[in-house]
Amino acid sequence: MRRANRFTRVAMLLVAGAVPVAAEPDDPAVAFFEQKVRPVLAEHCYKCHSAGAERLKAKLRLDSREEMLRGGDSGPALVPGKPDESLLIRAVGYLDSDLEMPPRKKLPQRTIADLRTWVEHGAVWPAARGGTGAGNEPGSPDQAGASDDWKRVRREHWAFRPVRRPQAPSVEDDTWIAGEIDRFVLAKLEAGGLKPASPAGPFVWLRRVHLSLTGVPPTPDEAADFVEDDGPDPRQKVVDRLLASPRFGERWARHWLDVARFNDGFGAGFDGGDKPFAWRYRDWVVSSLNGDLPYDDFVRHQIAGDLIVGADAVVATGFLALGPKYTSDGGDPEARAKAEADTLEDRMDTTFRGFQALTVACARCHDHKFDPIPAEDYYSIAGVFKNTREADLPMAPPETVKRFDEHQRRVKDLDKRIQGREKQQKKGELSDDHRRELESWKAELARARASPPPGYRKAHAVADAGNKDMHVALRGDLRKKGPIAPRRFLWLVDAGERDTWKQGSGRRQLAEHLASDENPLTARVAVNRIWQNHFGQGLVRSPSNFGTLGEKPSHPGLLDWLARELVARGYSTKALHREVVLSSTFGMSSEFDADNDAVDGDNRLLWRMSPRRLDVEAWRDSLLAVTGELDRRLGGAPERDLLRSGRRTLYSVISRNGDRFESDVFLRLFDFPAARLSNEKREISTVPQQFLFLLNSPFMIERARRFAQRLEKEAGDDRMRIERAYRLLYGRAPSSREKTVAEAFLARAGGAALSMWSQYAQALLSTHEFMQVQ
Amino acid sequence: MKFLAHERSVREAAAAPTRRDMLHRIGAGFGSLGLAGVLADAGLSAMPGAMAAGVAGSASPLAPRAPHFAPRAKHVIQLFMPGGPSQVDTFDHKPDIQKFAGQRPKSVDRKSLRNTKNGLMPSPFGFERHGQCGKMVSDIFPHVAELVDDISFIHSMYTDIPEHAGAILMMNLGNIQPNRPSLGSWLVYGLGSENRDLPGFVSMSPRAQPRGKLSNWGNAFLPGAYAGTYVNIAQMKPSAAIPHLKNSQLDPGKQRVQADLLAELNHLHLERRVSDRRLEASIEAMELAFRMQFAVPDVFDVEKESKPTRELYGNSEFAKGCLIARRLVERGVRVVQLSHSIDGYDIAWDTGHGDIKGGHARLAHACDQGIAALIKDLKQRGLFDDTLVVWGGEFGRAPTSEGKKGRDHDHYGFTVFMAGGGVKRGYSYGATDNFGLTAVENRVHVHDLHATILHLMGLDHERLTYRYSGRDYRLTDVKGSVIGDVIA
Repeated sequence: MRRANRFTRVAMLLVAGAVPVAAEPDDPAVAFFEQKVRPVLAEHCYKCHSAGAERLKAKLRLDSREEMLRGGDSGPALVPGKPDESLLIRAVGYLDSDLEMPPRKKLPQRTIADLRTWVEHGAVWPAARGGTGAGNEPGSPDQAGASDDWKRVRREHWAFRPVRRPQAPSVEDDTWIAGEIDRFVLAKLEAGGLKPASPAGPFVWLRRVHLSLTGVPPTPDEAADFVEDDGPDPRQKVVDRLLASPRFGERWARHWLDVARFNDGFGAGFDGGDKPFAWRYRDWVVSSLNGDLPYDDFVRHQIAGDLIVGADAVVATGFLALGPKYTSDGGDPEARAKAEADTLEDRMDTTFRGFQALTVACARCHDHKFDPIPAEDYYSIAGVFKNTREADLPMAPPETVKRFDEHQRRVKDLDKRIQGREKQQKKGELSDDHRRELESWKAELARARASPPPGYRKAHAVADAGNKDMHVALRGDLRKKGPIAPRRFLWLVDAGERDTWKQGSGRRQLAEHLASDENPLTARVAVNRIWQNHFGQGLVRSPSNFGTLGEKPSHPGLLDWLARELVARGYSTKALHREVVLSSTFGMSSEFDADNDAVDGDNRLLWRMSPRRLDVEAWRDSLLAVTGELDRRLGGAPERDLLRSGRRTLYSVISRNGDRFESDVFLRLFDFPAARLSNEKREISTVPQQFLFLLNSPFMIERARRFAQRLEKEAGDDRMRIERAYRLLYGRAPSSREKTVAEAFLARAGGAALSMWSQYAQALLSTHEFMQVQ
Repeated sequence: MKFLAHERSVREAAAAPTRRDMLHRIGAGFGSLGLAGVLADAGLSAMPGAMAAGVAGSASPLAPRAPHFAPRAKHVIQLFMPGGPSQVDTFDHKPDIQKFAGQRPKSVDRKSLRNTKNGLMPSPFGFERHGQCGKMVSDIFPHVAELVDDISFIHSMYTDIPEHAGAILMMNLGNIQPNRPSLGSWLVYGLGSENRDLPGFVSMSPRAQPRGKLSNWGNAFLPGAYAGTYVNIAQMKPSAAIPHLKNSQLDPGKQRVQADLLAELNHLHLERRVSDRRLEASIEAMELAFRMQFAVPDVFDVEKESKPTRELYGNSEFAKGCLIARRLVERGVRVVQLSHSIDGYDIAWDTGHGDIKGGHARLAHACDQGIAALIKDLKQRGLFDDTLVVWGGEFGRAPTSEGKKGRDHDHYGFTVFMAGGGVKRGYSYGATDNFGLTAVENRVHVHDLHATILHLMGLDHERLTYRYSGRDYRLTDVKGSVIGDVIA
């Protein structure tokens, strides 16, 4: 009985999260319209029969149900329920020879049948969400006033509302509270009748916080220091030390690089070239995090670092410059238009999923179906990126650049002139004067080549390239131009008088809107990502979609409190990390509880720390750390041979197509995401090929050998070595059973090319426990 | 809990029941695909939908899963012809080209990729009627011609763009940019595989990989378990067909001992931690890996086939791929993709620009016997009814000439064929115009072909979705309809 009660209470706490605000998508008639009818109308009819038509034909518009009913020169186009009486159906069916539409070619039979079905069933047209009143094709909410439905969603959907200032709730058990975070968590647990798990032991906590903040486990010395620390706040000391370590930036940069779909070039086909200076952007992210660059600047610099005077942030725009550049491989006009549209979509998608958790890319072909984002808004901002070009910027003083570039030009010019003269010479057409000149050129070229001025490195960045609004592209096709979309921010966020952007590309203004204190999404999205990477799941479990189809926050109050904290502390993310990892919530053990599990198996209410597998970076870095091989140098050009390098996994070269380097295969085997689309969360897959790697790869065999060597050096006999191994790997002592198993294995006759210790070490390094953080 | 005896021979060990059989079972085995998005974010330790379902049921993301409805086929073998084979020189016979040779009738006066302006060019090859169905087939496909009564031809294919890179991706992943999961990975995501000692999706080619490379069998944002495993069959040694198959230091017996040690260490961990589903999955995957070391070299070793069988297929590299394909599906592998390539060219059939006669004859010769042997062999082993064979390129070639002897790309109309599980036999569907340029009757977009392939495999293309970064994705995007008429 008690169980049932608790279940109901938890269910009630959670159920709201599953229901999207706009209920329509579930209506099959609407789905039919959206899938089978609207696209056909847009593609085949709107060029001549819509508000966006260049020249409206027969005074007929087919872009809303009302317009269809009103009809044009030939009368109403639609009689709901009666396809045979509907001119629309007669026209597409080519039933009357003087009214055959579309005129150039009959639609496929299937499509005609779909239109017929739609009319037969009453011509359902979803209630107004679109801008201009009736679920229309691209329109602006401002033009005719946004539909009530959209206004309601904007007003009511949790993520679009201003961030609140929640009071931390009071709780029954105050002794558990280490910080404000814990009040929010415990209040929910208490309301659900759940008890938090007991605190994690010191070793477990220490390993967890090390891995979470820096991606490498503590050394046995660090563990001993922690345990023996009698000071007032040993945990705070640890956290402060970790946050000050450069390892912190390396660890957390990689989380952001997933979202930023970071790569070193090497895409598919004609986008296959490398981006030799991509690492500068990666290093910028690392140093921004290590320097605790305020998060709003972190946003600003990546969008418009080149336009911000005084900020050394050009490199940050690698965020935009390192996206795929889709190309056409034969110059076909349709393919070219699609390639350009897809490239723009990448910039839109990555920027908006990344900073705003909005799926704006859904509004590329039509108004967003679930969130109040009209297609026009998509093109308002796509226009910003269309006026932006990739620009490899020199990373050296102007004099150096000038000297080197001039030298290059000079060499090229001489070379060309010499070649021309030599051609003449071969034909015997050279006068003596010219021959002498040729000789002097040759000498000059030799001199120039012998003493070149110092070269310089570049960064992949962007620059403004124009100042022009874009047309809405009908059905996402850039060749089909709809109305002009003035550059400005999303109506969804920027209500009221919306300023339009007339200066340059508009990136500076875009950056300001994204980084604004008033933006209800920015801080929420940021703190949710931080939470996710400490706990495995965000408070919102769809970290790149806060729209109506995303998940609702499990702890809305906590999310807003964290967002407020972030802003209040000057956007210091380090302050937020500190708050999180010093909480009792983070400090819980991962111990299983059958009662809690039965009620909240997803651990949405955070009754324990969910155990999880390390991502490939932390796992490989941990391997190198325990064998003593980790190379702790920061930054620089990427490692092209990761599996034979001691550097952190972060520094591996990443090919966008995932197939250029041996390391690509290795990384993807352990769920590294495709570096082509913004990635919100790592998948965890467990496949046999991973174990082939553990069992057979030269990489693992070599790590085992090194680990065995280390143990041999650091401990006197087998017993001590086993003990030491467990300390190094798992931060704990071996159980007696584990010792027995180890001793039995080591006592076996060797005889193989590998010593028994190497074989044992390889098994230890391959265990589930080593790959896990508890 | 007993562990495998250390002394047991490797052969026995490889054949022994999996440890999962002995393990405590958790969960009720959700087989339903509809749970995908829900489970993705649920408590199954951050595992995405189908995988979480797999874990709940049997701990492996490749565990077989129930389709949406009764399937007509269980395996797909895609014989991919990159570069664009010409329809009017292979299976789409158009006598009118001869009649109007050199002319450029209005219906063929459409823009081609290279803006060729020439007139109609008759096929340099002869055509003859074959089979009960009387199908006209070009004489460069003599072996396939014998089997026309087993095949459904679709003559009314069309695609979005006339460029290789984009059109190849369209055919293999339903999108012209390389940022979506491949057809094969969608299938394995939806259905799992029947043999977990082997990868669920194997992609092969002799020498060159088709343009776009990994994207053609990649998983993009689907979990890694659903990526195709690529094998270059020209250079392949069966013992090294996939990476890290063999331990360079330990013999199999010693390795068994080591693997058992690892299993035991993991198991001690399991006993301490109640109900760790992922640990269970990892213990199973380790056992599978161990067995994969023997299963993979075996399946790729065509020398194990009888002489008559090898003779049936012939000696070409493509034929070797066909034979491996049969061995793979015979063992339960879900999807096999075999791409044609000669001379290391990534779009082999594109030699059609300059020379249809020489180029196409060579390419056809290199694959014809293998394709026919595959169909015959599947039939004689009773696998044909369960296996869907799909042949075709990313687009076709225009009936007009390019230069004197070639043909430019044609994305307005081209031919593919399907044979086997659930497909009509001796059937032709759809048509191009009189000259073969444009699909005019019962037009079939690549999305429609994909919808049909999924349908035959028991999957509804509109329901096979995966939520990524807040959006539901499908192989067929927002398009595609099943071609009911080709289904038997």
